[in-house]
Amino acid sequence: MKVLKVPARTIAVFVLPCLLLYVCLVFAPILVSFYTGLLQWDGITTAKFAGFANFKDMFLHDPVFWPSVKRTLLYAVASMVEIPFCLLMAILLNRYVRKGNTLVSIYFTPVILSVVIIGQLWKTIYDPVSMGGMLNGVLIFLGLDSWTHNWITEPKIAMFALYAVSLWQYFGYHLLIQYTGVQNIPDELYEAAKIDGADGFKADRYITFPLIIPIFKISIVLAFIGSLQAFDLVMVMTAGGPAHATDVISTHMYNSSFLSFKYGYGSAIASFLVILCLVFTAGINTIFNKLEKKFS
Amino acid sequence: MVSKKMKATSTIALSAALVLSMAACGNSNNESKGATESKGNTATNAPDAGTPKTENGKKVTITFQNIYPDPATPAYKMLHELVDQYEKENPNIHIELDTLNTDQQKVKLKTQAASKEVPDITIVNPAAQMKPFVDAKLFAPLNDMLDQNGLKDTYQSGLLDYYSFDGNVYALPDGNNIEVVYYNKELFEQAGIKDTPKTFDELLQDVKTLKAKGITPIAIGEKDSWTGSFLFMNILLRTNGGPGFLQDVLDGKKTFEDPAFVEAVDRFQDLVQAGAFPDGATSIDANAGGNIFKSGKAAMWVIGSWETGAIDASSVAGKTGAFQFPSVNGKGDPNEFMLAPGSAFAISANSEHLQETKDFLNFFTLNYPKKQFELKNAVGIGQKVDGDLKAAGYSDLAINVSGLFNQVKGGDLAFDNTMNPATAQVHLSSIQNLFVQKVDSAQVAKEHQTAFEANK
Repeated sequence: MKVLKVPARTIAVFVLPCLLLYVCLVFAPILVSFYTGLLQWDGITTAKFAGFANFKDMFLHDPVFWPSVKRTLLYAVASMVEIPFCLLMAILLNRYVRKGNTLVSIYFTPVILSVVIIGQLWKTIYDPVSMGGMLNGVLIFLGLDSWTHNWITEPKIAMFALYAVSLWQYFGYHLLIQYTGVQNIPDELYEAAKIDGADGFKADRYITFPLIIPIFKISIVLAFIGSLQAFDLVMVMTAGGPAHATDVISTHMYNSSFLSFKYGYGSAIASFLVILCLVFTAGINTIFNKLEKKFS
Repeated sequence: MVSKKMKATSTIALSAALVLSMAACGNSNNESKGATESKGNTATNAPDAGTPKTENGKKVTITFQNIYPDPATPAYKMLHELVDQYEKENPNIHIELDTLNTDQQKVKLKTQAASKEVPDITIVNPAAQMKPFVDAKLFAPLNDMLDQNGLKDTYQSGLLDYYSFDGNVYALPDGNNIEVVYYNKELFEQAGIKDTPKTFDELLQDVKTLKAKGITPIAIGEKDSWTGSFLFMNILLRTNGGPGFLQDVLDGKKTFEDPAFVEAVDRFQDLVQAGAFPDGATSIDANAGGNIFKSGKAAMWVIGSWETGAIDASSVAGKTGAFQFPSVNGKGDPNEFMLAPGSAFAISANSEHLQETKDFLNFFTLNYPKKQFELKNAVGIGQKVDGDLKAAGYSDLAINVSGLFNQVKGGDLAFDNTMNPATAQVHLSSIQNLFVQKVDSAQVAKEHQTAFEANK
C-alpha cells in the first residue's frame, strides 16, 4: 500500500464503485441462491422451506447428479492436460518459426467464433454418413469402416466427442497465452545459458519452465473454471442427451430449474458448483504457490 | 505484435458482423413494408366483429407476448394484420409485440412469473403445463370476456376444458390438433407399398421394406425429446385399448408397471430396432427432423396436424397424404387420436389495463379463425369457421387431414400436458434413451413409476 503514496481513504473511494457492483451482482446472488437451495420451490408459487432436503436428494437419490459431476471433472482434467501441449507448441513456435505470430493468430480463430457456430459446425462433422457427416466419410474413405460411429448419439462416446470439440476450440486460446509468456522471457537468459553450456531442452528445463509457471497457472485456472461451467457447447450439440449421457453440472442445473420446475433444487446444484469452483481454485493456487517457491 | 494481429482479426470479424447485421436490417425493412402493404389490402374487407371502444382517450399500451416469429408463416401475418387493424380502429391503444421462439418464450415467461411481472397477454400450454401459473394466481379468469360477442360459442365443445380450473377459463387456445402419420406417396410407391398400414405389424413391415430400399422410414428430431414421446404415447393409447392411461395413474387406479405400458415400450423398441428412425436421431432438433420429411428424404412423419400448412409449403407438397396411427396388437381404435389442444392466450391478473386487454383479446380471438382461413391455415384451429376448404383452394392434404378430424372419437393429451413437469422430464429422457440403446421394458416402467411417486 505504501507504494501508491495515497491515503487509504482515497483508495477506498476508488475501489468502492467496483466493490459495490461486485457485491450486488456476484456476491449477493450467490448468497440468495444458497438460500433458494433450501426451498421446495417451483419458481412461481409460494416457496416452502425444506431445510437440507434438496442437498440430501442431490447427494443421495439423484441418479443424474454424480455422473454429471464426474463428466464435469473429466472435462476439467482434459482441458488441463491440454495446457502442457500448448506450452510445448509455444516453445517450438518461438524457437523454430520466424513469424510465429501469424500461426498463433490462425490457431486463435476458433476462439472468436461463437460457441453456437462451433457446435453446429461439429454437429455436422460428427453426423452419420447418411446425413453427410465428414468425419465418418473420411473414415470410410480410408477404409476404416469399423471405426465409424454416431459420435454424439452413442451414450458411451458422446461425451468424449464433446471434449474433443472443446479442446480443439480452446487450443489456440491457451497457446496464445503460453506463447506470450514464452516471448516475455528475456533472450539474455538463454544467451547466458548457452555460454554456460545449456541449450535446447536443458535451457527449457532450467529457464523456461520456472519462469513460465505464473502464466501456466493462469491457463490452468482458466481452463479448469471454464470447463466446470461448460454449458453452451453441450446445450447446442446434445442438450445433455441422449438420456443424460452428456449432462454436466450446469446443464443438469438448467434442466432441473427450468424444465422440471424444481427451482430450489436447481439452486442447490448451483451452490454445489460454486463451492466446487472455489475449492479447486484455492487448491490449484496452493499447489502453484509451492511450485513457484521451489523454483525461485 | 500479437495484439496487432489480434486487432486486425477482430476488425475483420467486426466488420463482417456489421455487414451481416446491416443485411438483416435490410431484410426486416422489406418485410415490414410487405406486411403493411398486405394490411392495406385486407383491412378494407376484414370483418369488424364487435370491437368495444374505450372512449376515454387515454393512451394505453398492451404487451402481447407471442410465439410467431417467422415472417414466412401464415401465423405471423395473421398476428400482424389483426394487431394493425385493431390499432387503427382504436387509436388510443398500442399493442406492443414481444415476439419469441417457443422455447425462449417458455423460459422468459417463467422468469417473469417468478417476479410476478407477467405481460398483459402471454402464451401458455394447456392443462398440467399451465397449472402452476394458475395456482400462483397469475392469470385473470376470462369468463366474462368469453360471453361478449358470442366468443364462447365459436370454440369447439369441450376444448376450453383443457384451459379451465375450478370453473374458470384462464386461456384461449390458438388451435386444436391431432397427431397423424403423414406419408410421402412417391416414396411408398418406390418401395412397392400399396396401402397405408392398418396394424402396427404392417407398419413394422413397411418400415423394413423402406429401410431395405435405403429410404429413411420415419422422420423425427429427437434432440427435442417431446417428439419421441408424442409418438410413443400414440402406441400407449392403443395398447391401453383407449384413452385415459395417465389419468388412471394420476387417480391411483393403475401404475406405470401396468402391462399396457410395458407393452407400449416393447413395441416402441421394435420400431427402433427395425431402423425406423434416421441415424443419430437424438442429435437432430425438431425442425431439422421435420425437414427430413419435408425435403422428401423420409417416407413418414408422425406429428401434429399443425404441420399441414408447412408441408404444403415445402418441396413435397402434392405428394403427401395422412393416415391414422394403426392399431397395435389388435388393440385400440384408430379413430382415437393423440389430441393436442394448442398453445393459448392468457391475460395477466395484474395487468394495469385489464379491461382494455380483455377487449383486445376478444377482438383478436373472434377474428382469428376468419383470418387463419383466409391465410390457408385453418386446419386444426379449434374454432368453428364458415367456409368450404375445397372451394377456398386448400390442398388435398389439408382436406385429407380435416377429414381425419371428422373421425375423431376421443383420445389422450401429450404426456407433459398430463403429468407434472418433473415426472415429464424423467419420461422424456427415458424415451430418448430408447433411441440409443435397447433397454429392459420393465425397467423403463419402473423408472417412470419411481419418478411419479417421488414428484407426486
